Amino acid sequence: MPIRNTTARWGGVSQTLHWLIVGLIITQYVLANLEHDLPLGGEKIALLARHKSVGITILMLAIVRLVWRALNRSSPALPATLKPYERVIAHVSHITLYVLMFAMPLTGWMMSSARNFPVSWFKLFQLPDLVAPNQRLYHFLHETHETLSWVLVAVAALHVLAALKHHFVLKDDVLRRMLPFTRTPSGGAAE
Amino acid sequence: MITRTLSILGAALACAMLAASAVAAAIPANVADYTLDPARSALKFVFKQAGAANQGRFRKLAGTLRFGDTNLPASKLDITIDIGSLDTGDDERDKTLRGPELFDMARFPQARFKSTQFKRLSAGRYEVIGKLTIRDVTRELHVPFSFRTTTEKGEPVGYMTGRVTINRLDFGVGQGEWQATEQVANEVDVSFGLRFSAAAAPAAAK
Repeated sequence: MPIRNTTARWGGVSQTLHWLIVGLIITQYVLANLEHDLPLGGEKIALLARHKSVGITILMLAIVRLVWRALNRSSPALPATLKPYERVIAHVSHITLYVLMFAMPLTGWMMSSARNFPVSWFKLFQLPDLVAPNQRLYHFLHETHETLSWVLVAVAALHVLAALKHHFVLKDDVLRRMLPFTRTPSGGAAE
Repeated sequence: MITRTLSILGAALACAMLAASAVAAAIPANVADYTLDPARSALKFVFKQAGAANQGRFRKLAGTLRFGDTNLPASKLDITIDIGSLDTGDDERDKTLRGPELFDMARFPQARFKSTQFKRLSAGRYEVIGKLTIRDVTRELHVPFSFRTTTEKGEPVGYMTGRVTINRLDFGVGQGEWQATEQVANEVDVSFGLRFSAAAAPAAAK
């Protein structure tokens, strides 16, 4: 698999970033659900610390991903078979997913600062506070963070359903070009 | 009429002077009495939680200081901290800290530091040795500090600043699951900047 993207398929870096972030986002939902109803205690603090560390990791990977995407001008295009409204939905959902990749960690980081619970990255270093402690702002950001998490579930579900439709119904290479160890019909050689 | 008023005033003045001289006699040489100015004092603490430095402070303090650079044996400090005034910027955490497994405010509403001895470290630098009581545990604590005096609006004021590290578990702040130090460290870095103004009621400092 080439490192860089081609017009036929996503390269190794893009695929790695895509699937790594998928895995980390799923981890985030698991951690958030485990800690959500716990009283403030060691277990909740530990789970939240992990949730914050993973979130900051996603933020760092999202920056790398955005930069890499900008550096790869020839990336796979949307299939020509898409109807105009489908192109709009595809673009809007991709942009939304990118925005959420940043908005989720940033609102989480901000709400930690507003609550005066600073963020550390895996206990290796402490991040600066983004806002001054403010309980009202914290509650607002907490709501925002949760609401955005549901938006992410909805858009990600749409994204997955669309990929499956391309693969199983339309039988094109949209899903395969993001998968390692596959061959794309348009001739892009995989490993 | 005027003479009677004057004589009453005179008697009152004489009483006041007598009272003042009695108080003055009670104060040892070369020391001054101060009262803590809570509105312009800060008592902060920092503790490590899950790898990050978390901060809080106590907003209500009271205390008296008798201090003289040349009369340290007569110097004394007595500070009372209102546990309910602790503020870490988060309501849930404040409530938890005031709860039975940490400060247990219901049973121990105040913490107190009472000096037993002062030592001079260098010019303007001292160490106060005293008893710190948190919850029902009293331990000796050595606190290095700086002290400088100045005059503000004609009043003598003193500024006492310093920091000391204490172990919360030494005082039982952390029962049950809070005894664990993996997420919330045992060490607590306490820093203070206390402003003392000339004692309003010197008799109280006896």
